Amino acid sequence: MFDLFSGSTINFKSIVGILGAFMFFLGFALLIPIIPALIYHEEAWQAFLISASFAFICGALSYIFFKPKQELRLREVFIVVTFTWIILSLVGAFPFMLSGTLINYTDAFFETISGLTTTGATIFGGTTTSGNINANIEDLPKSIVFWRSFLHWLGGMGFVVLSIAILPLLGTGGMQLFQAESSLLNSDKPTPRVQQTAKFLWYIYLGITLLHFVLLWVHPKMDWFEAINHAFSTMATGGFSTKDGSVGAFDSVYIDTVITLFMFLAGVNFVLHFRILRGEVSNVLENRELRFYVLVALIVTTLITFSLWMNYYDSFGEALRYGTFQALSILTTTGYGTADYTLWPAFALFLIFLLFFTGGSTGSTSGGIKMTRWIILLRSSFREIKQAVHPKGVYPIRMGNSIIDPAVSRTIFSFFVLYMLIFSAGVLALTAMNIDFVSAIGASIASLGNVGPAIGDYGPASNYAHMPFAGKWVLSLLMMIGRLEIFTVIVLFSTTFWKQ
Amino acid sequence: MKIVIIGAGEIGRHLSRLLSEEKQDVIVLDRDGEALAEVAASCDVLAREGNAASARDLLAAGVKDADLVIAATSLDEVNMIASMMSKRLGANKVIARIRSDEFTDPDTPLNPEDMGIDVMIHPEQSVAQEIVQLIKRSSASDVLNLADGKMQLVGLRLEKNSPLVGMTLMEYDRGFPNLVFRIVAIYRGGRTIIPDGSDRLLGNDNIFVIARTDTIPDIVKSTGKVEQPITRIMIAGGTKVGSHVARILNQENGGWNIKLIEPSEKGANQLAAELKNILVLHGEATDPDLLAIEGVQDTDAFISVTDDEESNIISCLMAKHLGVRKTVAMVSKPQYIPLSQTIGLDAAVNKKLSASNEIHRHIRQGKVLAVSSLQGIKAELLELEVGSRSKAVGKLIHKIRFPEGCIVGGIIHNGSVEIATGQTIIRKNDRIIVFCLPQSVEAITSYFK
Repeated sequence: MFDLFSGSTINFKSIVGILGAFMFFLGFALLIPIIPALIYHEEAWQAFLISASFAFICGALSYIFFKPKQELRLREVFIVVTFTWIILSLVGAFPFMLSGTLINYTDAFFETISGLTTTGATIFGGTTTSGNINANIEDLPKSIVFWRSFLHWLGGMGFVVLSIAILPLLGTGGMQLFQAESSLLNSDKPTPRVQQTAKFLWYIYLGITLLHFVLLWVHPKMDWFEAINHAFSTMATGGFSTKDGSVGAFDSVYIDTVITLFMFLAGVNFVLHFRILRGEVSNVLENRELRFYVLVALIVTTLITFSLWMNYYDSFGEALRYGTFQALSILTTTGYGTADYTLWPAFALFLIFLLFFTGGSTGSTSGGIKMTRWIILLRSSFREIKQAVHPKGVYPIRMGNSIIDPAVSRTIFSFFVLYMLIFSAGVLALTAMNIDFVSAIGASIASLGNVGPAIGDYGPASNYAHMPFAGKWVLSLLMMIGRLEIFTVIVLFSTTFWKQ
Repeated sequence: MKIVIIGAGEIGRHLSRLLSEEKQDVIVLDRDGEALAEVAASCDVLAREGNAASARDLLAAGVKDADLVIAATSLDEVNMIASMMSKRLGANKVIARIRSDEFTDPDTPLNPEDMGIDVMIHPEQSVAQEIVQLIKRSSASDVLNLADGKMQLVGLRLEKNSPLVGMTLMEYDRGFPNLVFRIVAIYRGGRTIIPDGSDRLLGNDNIFVIARTDTIPDIVKSTGKVEQPITRIMIAGGTKVGSHVARILNQENGGWNIKLIEPSEKGANQLAAELKNILVLHGEATDPDLLAIEGVQDTDAFISVTDDEESNIISCLMAKHLGVRKTVAMVSKPQYIPLSQTIGLDAAVNKKLSASNEIHRHIRQGKVLAVSSLQGIKAELLELEVGSRSKAVGKLIHKIRFPEGCIVGGIIHNGSVEIATGQTIIRKNDRIIVFCLPQSVEAITSYFK
C-alpha cells in the first residue's frame, strides 16, 4: 500500500541476490550424488564436488554482494523463476561434462533440463541403438544415473517451491514465486501461509516417494539403487530409468502394477493427498478434477486395451497390462515404456497421441495442459452451443459447487491458444532442420507437455541423441515453457514487460 | 495464531498486511472476488470467496478453530451476524467494527456480549481519539502514550533551519546531557530507518522519539520548535468524527475555545443543542469569508473532518496559509497519509487506519502497546516481557546484538519507567518497549522470550 516511493524499474540487484541464494541451495543438491559415487567406488564424485563448490561460491558471492532487501514485485518474480530454471540447468549440466560422460555441452544441458522439467527425454540408451552416439544408460556411472533421477525429483514439486519451504528469506514475494512455478491454484492452498503450503507439499511428496521406494525394493528384480531411481522418477512424473529398456526391462507384472499405480497418484493434485491424510475422504471424492482425471484414464485405457486385444496382442491380459501402463505413462506425462506404442494399431496410437495434450491434474507433478483447464475449456465450449439456442440464457460455468469467473476461463482460453501456437512454432523449427513431419510433431509436443518419448524417430524405444544441436536447444526451451506453464516464461518475451 | 478476517475492504487489507508480515495464519473472507484477489496478490494470506452472513461460508473459512475472528465489512448488520455466528461456531475471540453508537450506551437492550462480540471497534471514535492526542501535543505529528502515559512516543518534523540538522544522533545526545530520550526511528523520503548513533539528521526528517512525558516539551524545544499550548480550536465538519472530537474535548474541559462548522442547518441545530460550551457555526468550511470572520488567523488548531477528503485537505491548506499552527485533515485514502507533510499538512488521519490499528492493538491482548500508522511509517511498537532465559538478561544494551530492524525505546522495571540508553542493563521480568519493523516482530519476540 505504501509502495508509492519505489519506482517501476526492475530491481536487478535483488534478482541476482535471490538467484544467488537458489544457486547456493543447488550446491547441497549437487553433494548428494557423491553418496552413490562413494558406495560404487566411482571417480565421478570429483565432478559433483567441483560442481557443488562452484554453485556454493557463485551463489554465496552473488547473495552477499546483492543481498535482496526489497520484496520482489510481480515482474521480478517472473524473471527470478525463469532464470532459476535456466541457471539450475546450466550448472546442473556440469557433472555430465566433468565426469567425462558427455563431451558436448548441448547434450549435457538437454539432459539436465529434461530432468528438471520432468520431461524424461534422454540422449542415452534406448533399445534401438542405431545412430546412438552416446553411451547406454547401463554403462553410465551410477552417480550420474542417480543425478538424472534426482534432477527429476527436485524439479517435480519444484525447486523454487522447495526453497520457499526451507529458506525463510523470501518474505511476501514467496507466494508469487510459488505461483509462478507451481500449477496449484491459489484457492487450493491448504494452509494460509505459503511456506507451510510448500512444506506440506514436500512432506507428502517425500512420503509417497518413500512408500514407492519400499514397494519397489521388496521385489527381487530391483536392487535398492534401481528402486530409489524409479521412485524419484515416477513421483516426479519424469521418465528417466536405470535401464536402456526403461521399465519394460524388468518384465515384471508386479513392478508394472506398482509403477502404474504411483504414476496415477503422482498425477493427482497433491493437496488432495493432503486432504486424504486429514481424513476428508468425501471431500476428495467430490473433487471434479479428480473425477474427470479418473474418467479420462478409464475411457482411454479401456479403448486402448480393446484395440490392442483385437489387433495386436494375443491375450487380454497382455493387452490390459501394456495398454494401461503406456496410457498412464503418457497421461501423467511420465514417459516410461514397457512397450513400443509406435508399433501399435493406428487407433491405439492416436489415443496415445491425444494423451500428449492432456496432462494430469493441477497441483500434481505432471505437465501438459492439465485436467482443470480441459474441464473449463470443454464446459465453456459446450456453453456456446446452449447459448446459440437460447441467446438470452445465462449459463455460468460450474466446477463442483463453485462458479468459474469469466476472467479465469478467458485466461485458460488464451493459455490454450498460446500452447498450440508454441507447439506449432516448435514443429516449424524442427521441420526447418529437416526432421520428418511425424517426428517433429511428436518431439515438439512431447517436450512442451514434459512427456519425454514421442512418436516417429523419437519414440519410446529410441532416444534424442541424433537430434541436431539446434533442435535440442529448441526442445529445451519448449520443456521450460511447458514446465512453468507458459505465462511465466512467455511474458519475458513481450515488449510490454520491459517497457518502463 | 489463526485469524479470520471478514471483509477485504480498507481495514481488512491493512490488517492482512500487518498480520501476514508477522507470520500469522490469515484467512480473508469476502464476497467480492476482485477485492480478494487484490489482497491475495499483496499478502501471504488465504483468500476465500463467500458470504460473511452464511454459516457454511464461515465454516469453510475456518472460523470453527480460529483464535480470532475480525468482522470488518462496511456494514454493521453483516458484522453483527458474522460475529454471532462465528462465536456460536467456536471462534475464540471476536472483534467487530460497529459504526453505530447504539450498543455502547449502558442501557442498550443488546449488549456486544449478546452478539458474541468481545471487542467493539468504532472507527469514528478511534480517529477522534487520535485527533485529540494530536491537539494535546501541538508540535508533534504523532503521539502515542506508553506505560500508562508515563512515557510518550512523539513524531517530530525537523525544519530545514532546525539546530539539529547535520548532527549525528550521538552528537545530539551529547549536546543535551540533561535530556534522556531515545530516537527510535527516522522517516525520510518514504523510508523508515531504525537508526544508530552514527546516523545523521537531515532537514525534513520526521524523527520518532521516546521519552518521559514530562520531558517532552524540552525535547520539542531542542529541535528548535516551540511547544505552545493550543487553546483555540476550529473543527470543520459536524460529522460523527467532528462531533466526537468536540464531545471529548468538551468533557475533558481543558480550557479550550472550540468552534465547530457544520454546513447543514439541521445538523448545526442538533449539534448546538447537544454541545453547550461550543460555538456551532452554520456554513461551509472552505468559505474564506466565514473563516476570516470567525478569526481563523487567531486559531491554534484547525481540524477538518468533513466527509469530503479533498475539501478537508484544501481547507487545512487554507488555514495553514492564514497562519494556523496545527492542521489535521481527515483523508479517506490511507495512501495519502505519507504525502500529508510533503504538501504542508501537519497531520493526516484516516478512519480505517485508526480502526485497524486499534484492532491490531487488541490482537496482541495487551502485549502490543499501540501500533499506529505514524504518518505512514511501517513499524510496530511492542511491549515484551523479558524471559529469564533470554540472552539479553544481565547485559548492557549497547553490548546486545539485537535482530536487525529493532530498537529498544524504554524499560519498565518494577513499575517505574526508564528510557533506554546504551548503559541500561536489562533484567529479567522487565517489560521492554521495542520499536521494530514488521518483518522483525517474530525475531525480537523470540529473542526476549
